[in-house]
Amino acid sequence: MLRYIAARSLVALFLVWIVVSVVFLLLHLIPGDPAELLLSQSNVAADPQAVAALREQMGLNAPLWQQYIDHMTGVLTGDLGGSFRDGAPVIEQIALRLPRTLEVILAASLIATGIGVPLGTYAAIRADGKADAVISFFASASLSTPVFVVGSVVILIFAQKLQWLPAGGFTPFSDDPLEHLQLLLLPACTVALSLLAVITRMSRASVLEVLQRDYVRTARAKGLKRNPILRRHVVRNALIPVLTVLGLEMGTLIGGTVLVEFVFNWPGLSGYLVAAVDARDYPEVVGIVMTISVLFVFLNLVVDVVNALLDPRISLVR
Amino acid sequence: MSRSVRKLILPGTIAALIVATVLLAPVLPLQDVRGMDIPNRFAGPSAGHWLGQDDFGRDVLSRLIWGGRASLFIAVGSAIFAAIIGTALGLLGGYFRGAVELVTVRAAEIILCLPPLLLALLVVTILGAGTWPLVLALTILYTPNYARVVYAATQQVRGLDFVTAQRAMGTHPMTILVRTILPNVLPPLLVQMSLVVASAMVIESGLSFLGLGVVPPTPSWGLMIRSARGAMEVAPLLLVWPSLALAGTILTFNLLCDRLQSALDPRAVTAGGALWLRPRSAAAKKRITSLEAEADAPLLEIRDMSIAVRDMELVRRVSLTVRPGETVALVGESGSGKTLTGLAMTGLLPDTLRVTGGTALYTTRAGKAVDLAKLDEEGIRTLRGEEVSMVFQDAAAALNPVLRIGEQVAEAIRAHHEVEGEALQTRVVELLRQVGIPDPEQRARAYPHELSGGQRQRAMIAVAVANNPRLLIADEPTTALDPTIQAQILQLFAQLKCDTPGMGMIFVTHDLAVVAEIADRVTVMYAGEVVEEGPVAEVFERPRHPYTAALIASVPEGGAARLTAIPGSVPSPRQMPRGCRFAPRCGFATERCSAHPPPAEHPAPGRVTRCFHWETVT
Repeated sequence: MLRYIAARSLVALFLVWIVVSVVFLLLHLIPGDPAELLLSQSNVAADPQAVAALREQMGLNAPLWQQYIDHMTGVLTGDLGGSFRDGAPVIEQIALRLPRTLEVILAASLIATGIGVPLGTYAAIRADGKADAVISFFASASLSTPVFVVGSVVILIFAQKLQWLPAGGFTPFSDDPLEHLQLLLLPACTVALSLLAVITRMSRASVLEVLQRDYVRTARAKGLKRNPILRRHVVRNALIPVLTVLGLEMGTLIGGTVLVEFVFNWPGLSGYLVAAVDARDYPEVVGIVMTISVLFVFLNLVVDVVNALLDPRISLVR
Repeated sequence: MSRSVRKLILPGTIAALIVATVLLAPVLPLQDVRGMDIPNRFAGPSAGHWLGQDDFGRDVLSRLIWGGRASLFIAVGSAIFAAIIGTALGLLGGYFRGAVELVTVRAAEIILCLPPLLLALLVVTILGAGTWPLVLALTILYTPNYARVVYAATQQVRGLDFVTAQRAMGTHPMTILVRTILPNVLPPLLVQMSLVVASAMVIESGLSFLGLGVVPPTPSWGLMIRSARGAMEVAPLLLVWPSLALAGTILTFNLLCDRLQSALDPRAVTAGGALWLRPRSAAAKKRITSLEAEADAPLLEIRDMSIAVRDMELVRRVSLTVRPGETVALVGESGSGKTLTGLAMTGLLPDTLRVTGGTALYTTRAGKAVDLAKLDEEGIRTLRGEEVSMVFQDAAAALNPVLRIGEQVAEAIRAHHEVEGEALQTRVVELLRQVGIPDPEQRARAYPHELSGGQRQRAMIAVAVANNPRLLIADEPTTALDPTIQAQILQLFAQLKCDTPGMGMIFVTHDLAVVAEIADRVTVMYAGEVVEEGPVAEVFERPRHPYTAALIASVPEGGAARLTAIPGSVPSPRQMPRGCRFAPRCGFATERCSAHPPPAEHPAPGRVTRCFHWETVT
């Protein structure tokens, strides 16, 4: 088990290195000078001398390979460098904002799985019936509604009309736990809706598939009642592919919560990335992309391990 | 027109309507899309402005249609560009493979490693907002999807004979690709296309919403939602219209994709659930009040039972009797209906099949007579595992892969008896020992995949006999096993018979050697009918039906002078011969045989044959 995880982690690290290198090179190859962008105000061009000085200070005049090696050694020692914009260590900003993004994703995943698995199972049991048609339609519909539309409509209903919850913003948990959770609820539910659709559809398909298996017939042949069969034999086996999909979806969400963070004014990692790309703030961009890809790859590893725990047939020990 | 094609009509029509509306936008009698009317900002719906006016007093309906034009232009445009590039990459990679595959398909797949929205964001922030940067970003984003789909399809088509033939004739690869392979990969391409249009609209509107997409004053749904958010308190409807338009259009294309998929590939549609889960469904039968059984009633008496799928009869008027302690072998070729007969006794027939006639009277432990063929799901559930048990053919598939062996045996006991903890564990280990699993304490904790094939079948048998059933139905329990293991499992069955006097057994098999070893009586089935029945020794000694005789002659160790195969094959249930079903393959057949079905004859007490010529067979 440990050896398997170690081997997988090595491959993962290699992937991360590739991604970070590609992003680093891409940023330097595309037009747009961070120094110039930093010094120019609206449409007034920056003073060329000042730009040159700043470039020197930022280390942008060194050859590309030199910059690359410098940056990578920094990364290895845990130093992601300082932001071009205000000199603050990038790692601090990430440490501050990443948990907020993860919080939304985790809350959304819990909501989506908690509702989606029973809903999908029910749809599968009533396959081709009315309940199935209704559930499947709602799954398609929520899958088809972009997240910012859901967010906007949710704000319109719950914040504007009903005034149950605040429209957006952020309060640290340590300041006011209740308000923090209130503010979390709408963005989490918004993300959860499309995730819910994915999980519901996946659960339905998976349960239908498992119902055709021989071991379900064996369970019936034992004289087991309907619910124990569903619980112990059907849902447990059907969950395995559902969790895989959930893990992959969560990975995609880590970089994809930009819109939700924008709609609800949630100061997470994605919004930070947009600003960083806009300012060509290389250390920030590389730091964030690296964080996202590490998490993405790590999540895939977790999915594999969890799968192995659920399905004894997958042997982690060679 | 099939059902799946008919289901295409609705989303297809709506999609066509949406596309037609935005295409016709310039000629439709719409208000000026940029015509401001500040005094009437946020005005509600009126005769001149059906959906009202926005924050600049512009006509909402007109902006909605023109906005759709922008969104669809970007989505469809990038879907087409990506399709052209991706198809080319996929075709080349799939056809030439090797290095070409690496620089086309695999290179494109790197793009899939990044979250899509993130990638689009990167491209757009670099190139600046606008329609064309969006098209470029989305084209880059979706090219790998096409490349992959086309690559996979090309690989499939590439191996087909007609492509190989063309290659052999020296046709230029380009000609083959364009004229032969491309038309064949079009269906998956079409599915991918509708999926990409929907997904591109999500990203386009998201970027426009962030202010990174379509540049104002060009209307776009994303932008309309963005500006409506600011005026939410004053005019909530301004938010509703573009939201509905956007979600509705994406939903239409998603549905189109789903249904195209099932229309093009019917196999992808999963079979519709399981009827047994629906207690009040039409398939549930009325509960039959059970009667006191007669004192000398057999354990099971099947009389004239038929099983059909829709109007096609698969099993016809089968009769079979099992007395306590007796083992009856049910023999026949594949498709003779022997397994279905067994399954019907436990109510486990596949959903599409039904018992259409006859009775199967079973005498319970309590001395009641119940008709197994007419019990409802709950009624037969209480008998399953407790009174009537089943051993399935393929133990690897019939055991749940994620539950330990011990748990699966324990479950069978607990389904009918309140045993818990230590006592239950002891019983489980005892059962595993009884079926000959070595080291049962340890093995109880093993998963099915950790056992050998023979041990899995033993575990399966332990599950079946856990509650000392009175009737054990074994459905080809040795077929999937090695010959040496087969012999051991047969021994186990013989042992079980000794250990549990009074247990009746139906042993379904196609192997006559097995029959000789284990059974007291044999029932031979052919094409869904019982053709011969009698004590094993007598039937083997002197078969009274040509089919039985032919079966015995075709067994190497059957003692026959020479091995003879039965000519022809079992008739299809759709084209059953009018007379004797075996007549077309029978050496004894006369005109009479193909004119009328032969009646049941009794050559000797306890023997039945369905043949006009039984006296001359042997």
